[in-house]
Amino acid sequence: MNLRDKLRAVDGGGAKRPAPAERAEADCRHFAVYRPAEEFPGAWDLTRETLAMMSEKEMPETFDPRRILYLDTETTGLGGSGTVAFLVGMGFLTDEGFEVHQFLMRDYPEEPYLLKHVANGLGKFDVLCTFNGTTFDVPLLESRFLMNRMDRDCLDLPHLDLLHLCRRLWKLRLGRCNLGRLEEVVLGKPRHDDLPGSEVPQRYFTYLKTKQMSLLDDILKHNAQDIASLCVLLNHMADLYLHPEKIRFSEDVYSMGRALERINLTENARRCYRLARKGRMGDSAGTALAVSYRRSGDREEAAKVWREMIHERRGGIMPYVELAKHEEHIRRNPAAALRLTEQALFLLSEPALRESGTVQEEKNELQYRRQRLLRKLKEQQIDGIHDGTESE
Amino acid sequence: MNVTQLAEQLRRDSQFMKDVTRWEVIPARPAKTSPFPESMDARLIPVLNQRGIYSLYTHQAQSLEATARGEDVTVVTPTASGKTMCYNLPVLSAILKDQDARALYLFPTKALSADQVSELYDMIEGMGVDIKTYTYDGDTPAAARRAIRQAGHIVVTNPDMLHSGILPHHTKWVKLFENLQYIVIDEIHTYRGVFGSNLANVLRRLMRLCEFYGSHPQFILCSATIANPKELAETLIGRPVTLVDENGAPMGERHFVFYNPPVVNRQLGIRKGAIPITRTISGMLLKNGIQSITFARSRLTVEVLTRYLKDMVRDPLGNAGKVRGYRGGYLPGERREIERGLRSGQVDAVVSTNALELGIDIGALDACVMCGYPGTIASAWQQAGRAGRRQGTSIVFFIASSAAIDQYIVNHPDYLLKQSPENALLNPDNLYILLSHFKCAAFELPFSDGDRFGNTSSTEELLDYLDEQGILHHVDGRYHWSAEDFPASEISLRSAAAENFLIIDITEPAHHRVIGEMDRFTAPMLLHENAIYMHEGRQFQVEKLDFDACKAFIRSVDVGYYTDADLNINLSLLDIEKEEETSRGGIAGLGEIKVTALVTMFKKIRFDTHETLGFGHVQLPETDMHTTSMWWTLPESLASRVPSDRLKNGMMGIANLLRIVCPLYLMCAPQDIAVVYQVKSPITDQPTILLYDNCPGGIGLSHKAFGMKELLLEKALQVAEDCSCTYGCPSCVGPVGEIGEDGKRTAIWLLKELVR
Repeated sequence: MNLRDKLRAVDGGGAKRPAPAERAEADCRHFAVYRPAEEFPGAWDLTRETLAMMSEKEMPETFDPRRILYLDTETTGLGGSGTVAFLVGMGFLTDEGFEVHQFLMRDYPEEPYLLKHVANGLGKFDVLCTFNGTTFDVPLLESRFLMNRMDRDCLDLPHLDLLHLCRRLWKLRLGRCNLGRLEEVVLGKPRHDDLPGSEVPQRYFTYLKTKQMSLLDDILKHNAQDIASLCVLLNHMADLYLHPEKIRFSEDVYSMGRALERINLTENARRCYRLARKGRMGDSAGTALAVSYRRSGDREEAAKVWREMIHERRGGIMPYVELAKHEEHIRRNPAAALRLTEQALFLLSEPALRESGTVQEEKNELQYRRQRLLRKLKEQQIDGIHDGTESE
Repeated sequence: MNVTQLAEQLRRDSQFMKDVTRWEVIPARPAKTSPFPESMDARLIPVLNQRGIYSLYTHQAQSLEATARGEDVTVVTPTASGKTMCYNLPVLSAILKDQDARALYLFPTKALSADQVSELYDMIEGMGVDIKTYTYDGDTPAAARRAIRQAGHIVVTNPDMLHSGILPHHTKWVKLFENLQYIVIDEIHTYRGVFGSNLANVLRRLMRLCEFYGSHPQFILCSATIANPKELAETLIGRPVTLVDENGAPMGERHFVFYNPPVVNRQLGIRKGAIPITRTISGMLLKNGIQSITFARSRLTVEVLTRYLKDMVRDPLGNAGKVRGYRGGYLPGERREIERGLRSGQVDAVVSTNALELGIDIGALDACVMCGYPGTIASAWQQAGRAGRRQGTSIVFFIASSAAIDQYIVNHPDYLLKQSPENALLNPDNLYILLSHFKCAAFELPFSDGDRFGNTSSTEELLDYLDEQGILHHVDGRYHWSAEDFPASEISLRSAAAENFLIIDITEPAHHRVIGEMDRFTAPMLLHENAIYMHEGRQFQVEKLDFDACKAFIRSVDVGYYTDADLNINLSLLDIEKEEETSRGGIAGLGEIKVTALVTMFKKIRFDTHETLGFGHVQLPETDMHTTSMWWTLPESLASRVPSDRLKNGMMGIANLLRIVCPLYLMCAPQDIAVVYQVKSPITDQPTILLYDNCPGGIGLSHKAFGMKELLLEKALQVAEDCSCTYGCPSCVGPVGEIGEDGKRTAIWLLKELVR
């Protein structure tokens, strides 16, 4: 056996495949796509303050919505130094609409040209916006710059990773937040005939072997759509941050409340919680609302919420426990606290709850609290007798 | 009773001494020291002084000097000779001088890395300097990884992690690669065979990347005693090395006792078992409060012995916990706990497979009992080295089993005491291994026309092949990775098969837990359905083996037996490389074969008496292996002169002899090769005896055997003729019960005809 045959035996490989030869030019291929302004409602009104608020990031003085670069890459794999970004699309708002410029390497020797266009592109903008770019696109480009011995500093723009922002608002309702699903469910624009991302690398390798440009049409379309969606999504989110009342799903309203609380817009957050209390998220929203009051020291307001929750039969034993704490430690009313504790114990005696270990733990805690309260009451009575202040 | 008293008492015990074939006393050896060399940073001296170190041992000083001259160094030293100084001192000196300097430490196992890091931490803390040492392995939390990549001065890892976690993501490790000054590889003697061939290629990849980043790291390698440390090191790293092998560390007096269990049946050449004897001797040590380690060859024996010893001290106070089992397949936490117990003295006796041969720090123990020959001289010394303090007496017992090689050793103790240990062989150009690493290398950095991969001569051919297969894409003089896969995830460095089997205890239905794992080749033998699997002396029965999902489900049982599986081997020819006519018209051949292994049945064996209680069937898929083989055919003129069953017995006898002789002359472990005989071989169509490399692709043993094809037969003949038995025994052609009454005679006659 010669080496070639041995390799086949070891590796299970087939016969030689023909590879058409095509000389690469001294640049990569460039495509431009123009989208009309009406597809991007509100995009030109996005302010520096709104964006800074949403992202908790410092935005440059010179901020202008036209100076955000929306970027997405199409790659030959899932990472590691053998993965290459063969297509990089970059989009931005202009005075007239939205432009996407796509740079495609028709073969590996064109990669340095592609990267040069990316560096140039990045250099002209103030803010970078991606979807999952923190963990994927940016490190990948960083790796590519390094492999081609090029400067990676162009990547040091303030970076908005929409994946993180979207997860805050929609993970509760949607579970997984990928771009396609967000477009469909959040923006109400499902994609048709879209190429699944998992098929992209193989499609490109087939193209490399055959050099049939038509194979890449789907990828180019997919990439341009992704980039346009980034812009739409960002502005949709900004709108919701400013007008939470537009949100229709109670999960989303609650999530927005959490997001707003995180950026210290407490009043707005409470507004969301109050809205969400009516729906499926009532328990969590009520709790979040009460906790938010307690945190800001507004204990009476918090107690009011707990009381309402008891009245609405929401939140299980938590409102009882919290209110008992309030009565015991703030209002110094052990009798009321005892009543609440006993009510909670009564709720827990519900036969359906009996088996679980956490129920037992909760019961133990309540019993402990009950004993303490009984002791306190007794002491108070004794003290009362001594002071002669006992009534009757 | 301490070791000296025990040794004296045993020597007066004539009942014991009649079975001792040699009592060797290795005298104590004083230290040879040398002052701290100039190349060592002065800031290290106070820290060393604090630890009572005012000078270096000579081998440490020599190694430091060679490193300072810019040479790649290989230090060969026995256990507990302070070899870690040989690399820690130059590395710390370099980082003290230049905060940007980086070093990479490679240890074969995670346990060893954990040990080394704690020792380094101590020194760094003692100096009060900011040198960051991190372990980077599968257990490193994701959050810590970024910090390690950016700031770790010393990155401690293992070959597997370097291969799949670091090299393929080298762009995240720029700081390390740009500033890499030292690559430290400890325990290089473990890198033989497949593992070593893989590591050599991982290092080729590493050096390619260093070149890309413009760094020129130096190697510091450490090895236990083997025959060819220099050759091994040079094959591993592909460059010449300076050898430092004169040990300057002191050592207390050591007793080495060779014990051959008494013969119980002279005709059949059957001896009392090594396991009961080991049970007695280890038990004696345990009762006398002498901290000991007992080495057994198989995981099964470890479990059986652990159980015996635990029973001996079991009491309501939980003293059974003073005896622990230790082997591959225990989970890391459990192993660390046992290691700590040994160091602190809470564990009095440990029974282990060769898993504890490596330099895992368990402190020095007083005594070592070897239940059977571990297979190589190097291993035997590694195991014996576990007993032996720098001061004070220690004792090592070698208990021979009835296996031929054990009998040879116990009757020729000089073979172990005087002969140089084995060669560690590896073959970085094994095609299976090479091809896999070519893919990884191309993924990491495109190849250019004219590039060489290590010393491989066929770089271009391999690249063109991968281009044809569409895995690489050749354009403008460069070969680019053009596949979606992540090639490093497809190779396991330690065996040819990638995935391990998980062992899951389902005794408690609500609480399934993983208690261990096992490699793909061993799993069919030990985890087939109805096998009794033992873990820390407890018995489990395998309820289900899910071969596709690589999971074995076991349930706790308590039965009076254990199980032993039978392995069936089939061979077929792939390619003949060479054929030569031997005397009398026989043929010696060399080529590639496919070995198909299948477990079909198992035996149930009773504890204590070791009698067979019954059999069971196993239904499992076959496993395949391509490897190299050499063979001898018997000429027709010879074979036709005896009846076929006599021929078969004679050939079986020769195969048994070759199993004894080949490891000795090929200088390898017995399990590295396999010898089989076929009365009518599908490979040659004739009566044939075959020897093959017992790993995919082979590591060169068959080639070496082909080069000594006459010598091996001569030596086999000599062993048969020298043996005092009449009709055969386990020490030569095999027991009469196996080869029949004419087996020995026929084997000798055939061999005489063949070597004439």
